[in-house]
Amino acid sequence: MTLGKAIARLLLLALMLVPALPARALVTDLSNKRIEIRYSFSGAELILFGAVGSTNIDVRQEDYDVVIVVRGPESAAVVRKKDRVGGIWVNTDNMRFPSAPGYYAVAATRPLKEIANPVAFASYGIGFHNLPLVADSGNGLMMPDPDFREALFRLRSGEGLYRQEVDEVAIIGQGLFRTNVHLPANVPVGEFIVETFIFQHGSMRSRNRIALTVDKEGFERAAYNFAHGYPFWYGITAVFVALAAGWLAGVLGRK
Amino acid sequence: MNIFLVIGMGAAVGFLSGIFGVGGGFLMTPLLIFAGVPPAVAVATQSNQITAASVSGVIAHWRRQGVDVKMGAVLIAGGAVGAFIGAEIFTLLRAQGQVDLMISLAYVVFLGLIGGLMFWESMRAIMRQRRGIVPPRKPRDERHKAWIHALPFKMRFRKSRLYISVLLPLVIGFFVGVLSAIMGVGGGFVMVPAMIYILNMPTNVVIGTSLLQIIFVTALTTIFHSVNTQTVDIFLAILLLPGAVIGAQLGVRIGLKLKAEQLRALLALMVLLVCAKMAVALMVEPPELYSVTDLEVMGEQH
Repeated sequence: MTLGKAIARLLLLALMLVPALPARALVTDLSNKRIEIRYSFSGAELILFGAVGSTNIDVRQEDYDVVIVVRGPESAAVVRKKDRVGGIWVNTDNMRFPSAPGYYAVAATRPLKEIANPVAFASYGIGFHNLPLVADSGNGLMMPDPDFREALFRLRSGEGLYRQEVDEVAIIGQGLFRTNVHLPANVPVGEFIVETFIFQHGSMRSRNRIALTVDKEGFERAAYNFAHGYPFWYGITAVFVALAAGWLAGVLGRK
Repeated sequence: MNIFLVIGMGAAVGFLSGIFGVGGGFLMTPLLIFAGVPPAVAVATQSNQITAASVSGVIAHWRRQGVDVKMGAVLIAGGAVGAFIGAEIFTLLRAQGQVDLMISLAYVVFLGLIGGLMFWESMRAIMRQRRGIVPPRKPRDERHKAWIHALPFKMRFRKSRLYISVLLPLVIGFFVGVLSAIMGVGGGFVMVPAMIYILNMPTNVVIGTSLLQIIFVTALTTIFHSVNTQTVDIFLAILLLPGAVIGAQLGVRIGLKLKAEQLRALLALMVLLVCAKMAVALMVEPPELYSVTDLEVMGEQH
């Protein structure tokens, strides 16, 4: 990560050189705005930097809080529940979420409950429990069963896909802050939104959003697109690759 | 997944299949599942890897005239229909979230059955050998049961020196095709005994012909799974191959030094062990009752 660190330092330097910004202006940037997934991809760690400007009266002396929300592309997911049927554990119940975020992370300078009251977070949709998640009942949308919603959060948290208040935002200088964004190996591909909120005295003062792209690249991308776009030819290819590899292995194995 | 772990698993299963002279699909698929590969991906990918693993075997048997092409063609015809239906069942159950359960149940039933029978048979053979009794082998015609000859649509298979109903190999092929699609196995462990005891084929063409059928049926299964569920991982299949080939070479050398009955008893124990592990996983209350599946990965958008 030496390159990442160098970039981070540069970013920090650039941000420090920014002269007095307009009232509560907020600038953020990521150490890398485009993540490429390859077969050996084992996750990525990005650094998010931000700077808060101030008014003529030095607001910089006053404390502020930063809340950063990173949201991945939404996709349909099914949560299933097992139950004991005749001595074995079988999936019996399920709930379909047509648009669950594939990645969701909230980082803050302090525990959220110390920054503002829950109503404020609810109005900005900050925090997994404030996400407008609906379930598909088969004939229309409905409020999801809280047990299934909780299970979705717990399971994806376990996979490192949902990170609520796991990471901290560090305030470096008076107007500067940074945090690490962790993307696990199984991160979904697509457009991500990184949203930064500045809170002061329990109310939201400023917000800003930047985009982040996660994509499968090169050979990986080609293989994925091939398997999903032309599944029949993918199957044929798999068979011929297997036949060739098997024949080759047989020839080499005899020697 | 760790590349070295995958190669190592290939080698371990290849070694065992070399020792025991079995295909190894029924050991590799559970191993992949235990290692955390989704069961559906394990099954579909294993079909692809079995195609690769069977090629050199068929070439070797072909050279020594050990393949009955006509019998193979009939078995393949049955297997193609079986694999198609198996893949459809697989797709249907996957959409309902029950495919993992079906794979586990199929393994528990088949491994339990085959392992149990093999264990009993090999134990009996070991006992007999200790007592020094050699059971008189029945002549070939007598072993061939009367009801088999009563079946219609008879066909002549010159290489196997058989004149039997075409329905028998069709049904056997069909059954093996279904197993291949839903369990990710070649099905040799079912087909070889069926060819010997039901069809009464001479042993010198049994292995070569079953391998020929396995290549075609696993190839079809790979295509069906690719089209239906996109669960075939070419990289995983190819990574499993080198270890499997090297492991098998070593295994064959070790296997030659052991007695046949003891080998079968050992294999039976191993099969029963895998069966027990899968059965326990089904019966013990899982620590997490909920599971989440991403529908886009399942190709719902296509």
